Parts: sequence; structure tokens; C-alpha cells
Amino acid sequence: MEKGGVKAWIDGDETAHDMLRRISAVRSTLLVPPLHRVPLRLGNVVEIVGPSPSAKTLILIQVAISFVLPREWNGVPYGGFDHSVLFLDLDCRFDISRFSQMLTHRIMEGNAIGDCDKTLYDLCMRRFLYARCSNSFEFLQTLKSLHYRLKREKDHGVGVHLLLIDSIGAFHWVDRASVFLSPKETNRKKLFLQSVSEAVVQDIKKLLQEHPMLVIATKSVIFGNTYSTTSNEVNRCSRNVTRNPQQIQYREYMPSVWQSLLIFLIYGAPSILAVLCYT
Amino acid sequence: MAPLKCMEKDYPLIDSHFQSFCASHAIFSFEDFLLYDLHALIASADNHSSSNTLKQGIDQLLSVIDAKLPSLRNGLQLLQDAECNKLLLPTGFQGIDALLGGGLRAGQLTELVGLSSSGKTQACLTSASTVAKQGGSVIYFDTGNSFSPQRIADLVGQTSDYVVDNQAELGPLQRVMERIMCYSVFDIYQMFDMLQQLKINLKSKIVESDHHVQLLIIDSISSLITPILGGRGPQGHALMISAGYLLKKLADDHNIAVMVTNHMVAGEGGTSKPALGESWKSVPHIRLLLSREYDSNVCNISTLKHPSVASGRAAKYTMYL
Repeated sequence: MEKGGVKAWIDGDETAHDMLRRISAVRSTLLVPPLHRVPLRLGNVVEIVGPSPSAKTLILIQVAISFVLPREWNGVPYGGFDHSVLFLDLDCRFDISRFSQMLTHRIMEGNAIGDCDKTLYDLCMRRFLYARCSNSFEFLQTLKSLHYRLKREKDHGVGVHLLLIDSIGAFHWVDRASVFLSPKETNRKKLFLQSVSEAVVQDIKKLLQEHPMLVIATKSVIFGNTYSTTSNEVNRCSRNVTRNPQQIQYREYMPSVWQSLLIFLIYGAPSILAVLCYT
Repeated sequence: MAPLKCMEKDYPLIDSHFQSFCASHAIFSFEDFLLYDLHALIASADNHSSSNTLKQGIDQLLSVIDAKLPSLRNGLQLLQDAECNKLLLPTGFQGIDALLGGGLRAGQLTELVGLSSSGKTQACLTSASTVAKQGGSVIYFDTGNSFSPQRIADLVGQTSDYVVDNQAELGPLQRVMERIMCYSVFDIYQMFDMLQQLKINLKSKIVESDHHVQLLIIDSISSLITPILGGRGPQGHALMISAGYLLKKLADDHNIAVMVTNHMVAGEGGTSKPALGESWKSVPHIRLLLSREYDSNVCNISTLKHPSVASGRAAKYTMYL
């Protein structure tokens, strides 16, 4: 080897930080952990499960940012997907200033000068669409009217290719306790929770046929390990996720019809990460 | 639960023929329509003889849905609303304000958790007096008879010149005290009633407009919810979640900061954990843990959950007695 060659070879070409920055600007993939481990396509439905707080909404925000950024802007590569995003807030807890902070930080990071381009910021903020629902009926209404609204958005500008739902199990208790009175009581064999979940799944499926997009939903674990009595109303199965010697028990509470829609399920706890695949 | 019959006079396309078609699919109300598979309904309408009028009826229902919902907002509109309307309210404790980035935010539900005698009620009283001094109205739901007007008067008198020496100078202090409305609430149904009444009052603007309600305090919400939790049915949890949504909706629609307190129960391994269980964890926007060193005025506060601050960040503040 040449004289300075050995030292140069040991020193390396670039630091890990520089490499990450270079790759995330050039290659448009969802490098947001933990989603980088699963191969995602438009039309997939992913669920991120975790106890509260485990940064699930933060993952959604990061994915949203990587979707609304353009591939490059004024010569600076950002590596985004250049699409619009729709965020359905069922928890009614979304903090827009957090999103704005993270977007500003991401824009400043990619920029060589280090300042935030106002036009780009406005463009990205305008691509982030938001709706909130405070009960299951509002959620169903939103899903049913989404087809026409998305068509309108597509006519105006870029189409929506990412649907974020935070969080899908928000109305679980309220729906379980609802007694849905109907004149034809005898025909109603199904429970209200079951009917709502089926309606939601059908609407999402039909929506995905018309507007192919990636759906990511968060769900919080609401049954702790010590929950002993179970009622037979909801089809429930408990999964044991083993990672190293520790065993985590997470009890599924969404009806099986939602499970059938999922492609991937990501379980996140403060120190554990597991990916369950559905086929 | 709006039956389709009642919608006929406002929307003439939903006539009796359409209603009987819906009845054949067991759809009697607007909510039934929401739960039914739309495409199956359209396909069945296609097979019917008068498919055009039926489809017009379906379109009419869909346009009713579209009209009822607020339009999609984008990020810039949300940010503008947050900056103009959702202001920060200082709590009166510099330590807490520094941790929260300025104070309690209107539109958000903040929860204070702590063991007994860790300073939760004092924090509530101090926040109430600070907000009232600056001109906003405060609504205080007291569930354990812990509201103390003397303490409020002390707090107000401490940091300004509202000194109560003689009757003639009662004016400013009285005005501040009048802005704090305290109600005794002893069960959750009473709380629901009062919140609904508050919603109606705020919507119709009965309250005088120069003193907006800026802060709603419920001390403590856990004593209202704990008696109904437990048991085998889901009704207790459903009421708790509904209360959470009602508070968050009030906060967001009328730009109010809501502060609730929660006590602690025994957790695993002898440690304490906040009461109300796992489902409650996803209700408040911000959760703060209070603790007080024994026989001292110095309190510790740390974040359990916050959108922007990492959990575990702590601060100290001193209570004035």
C-alpha cells in the first residue's frame, strides 16, 4: 500500500452520521425505525402497538414528514416521497407544534446553510391534512366521505398516499358498552362493537381499492398483565412475544375482522421491538 | 339516532319509497346507514326497478354526511389556530412553567399525579389564583371539599398589592375572587351534567364576554371515576373515556386549559403507579408527577408523558406557605 494509504484507509471515508444523512437524502425509503425492517407497499395496512407512552405518535409524525417532503428542492436532496398525508386523530391529542418542530429540524438538517426555507415549509405543512373524530359514528362518517374528499384533493394537487390513524382502539370501551337499540332487535345477532369494526374495515378496504395508499394505525395496549377476568364478548387471543429471556404478554382486543386487514403488526415497548407478520 | 322518517321533510329525496327500500336492508336510522356496507347497498339499488331515485336518495344521505363534517384542515391552518387561540397560561410556579415551556396550554388536558399531600391541590389553587389575577375566569370542580377561599386570598395577596387591610380596599381582591367559580361535585353523573351545562352556556355565550373561561380544574377526577371502575362490565371504563373526550372537546372548541388531578395506587414490586389504569393513560395530553420531600416546601415535578418533552425530565419548585 502507499505511504499515506494505510492511515487513510483506517481513518475511513465518512462518519456514520454523514453516511446516514447522505443515504436518507438519496434513497427514498422509509428509514424510520422500526418501519425500516418491513417491506411496505401502497395498499398495506400496518399496526403499531405499544403501551403508553412509547413514542407511537412520534413514529407517525416522522413517517408523515418523510412523505410530505419532496425528493429534492432547490438542488438540495431531501429524499421524500412528495405526497400528501391524511392524519385521522381519534385520540384527539395531536400537537401540531411538535410536527412543525420536527419538520423544521428536518429541513434545516438537509440544507447546507442550515436555515429553514419558508416556501418549502409551507408546502409541506399544506400537504399534511388533519381530521379528528370523537366517537365511532364520526369515524365512520369521515371514512365514508373520504372518497369524495380525496378525489377533490387529488384534483387540486398531489394525491394522498398515506393514511395515519391514531389510535384505532380509541373507542373500544365506549363501543363495548354501547347498547344499540333497534326496532328489529331480533335481527341483531351481532354486537355493536362487532358491527362498527366490520363497517370500519369494509370502508377502509373500499377506500384502498379506489385510492391505493399505505395505512398505518397505532394502538395502545389497554390490558395490563394482571388483567384476569375476561368476558367472552370480543374474540381475543393473547400473544406471547419472546425476545431474549424476557417474555412480554400482550392481549389483543380488536375484533378479528380488523386483524384480517392487517399486513404487519409492530409491537413497541420501551426496550423491546418485535414485528409480527400476517399473511 | 335520527330515524330516516324525520329526515324526510328536510331532504325530500328520502321519501317513503326510499325508506321502505332501506327497511328491507334493516336500515331504519342514519346510524344504521353508517354501519351498512355502502357498495352492497348501491349494488342492490341497481337491481331495483327505480334504481335512479334510490341512488339519488343514497347520494343525498352521503351529502348530508359531507355537510355535517368539518372540512379537512391542513397543517398551516392548525398551526395558525394553535398560535392565535391556544395560549399558554402560567401556573404561578416557575419550576412547572419552565418544564411545560411557558405554562398550561389552552386546548390541552393536563393531569397532575401524586401521592397524598404531595401538593396537587396547592398547585390547583395556585394556578386558579394566577389565572384569575390576570383576568381570566376559572371554573373549579371540587370533589373533596378541599377548596379554600382563604388560601386563594393569601395567594392573591402575596405577589401583588391586593392587601386586605380594611373594607375599602376589598374591591380588587373581590373582583379576582369573583372570577373563580367553585362547584362541589361528588359523583361522575353530576360532573357530566355540569360539563354539559357549561358546554351549552359557552356555546350560547351567556357568560360575559370580557372574562373568558380560561381554566377548568377538576380536583380530583380520580375520586369521581374510581367508584365506577371495576366490576366485570365495560360501563365504568366507557364513562371514564367519554368524560375524557368531553373534556378534550370542551378544551379544544372553547380554548380552555383543563387541569385534573389523580391519586396513586400500589403497583408492582411495592412502587406506586397512577390510578385509573392503562386506558386512562392515553386520555390526557400531558401527565406530570408531583412529589414532596418530607416536611419541606420543595416539591419535585417530572413529566410522565408530554408531546415534546422527554419523559423523566424533572424540575423543582417551592411552595409558599
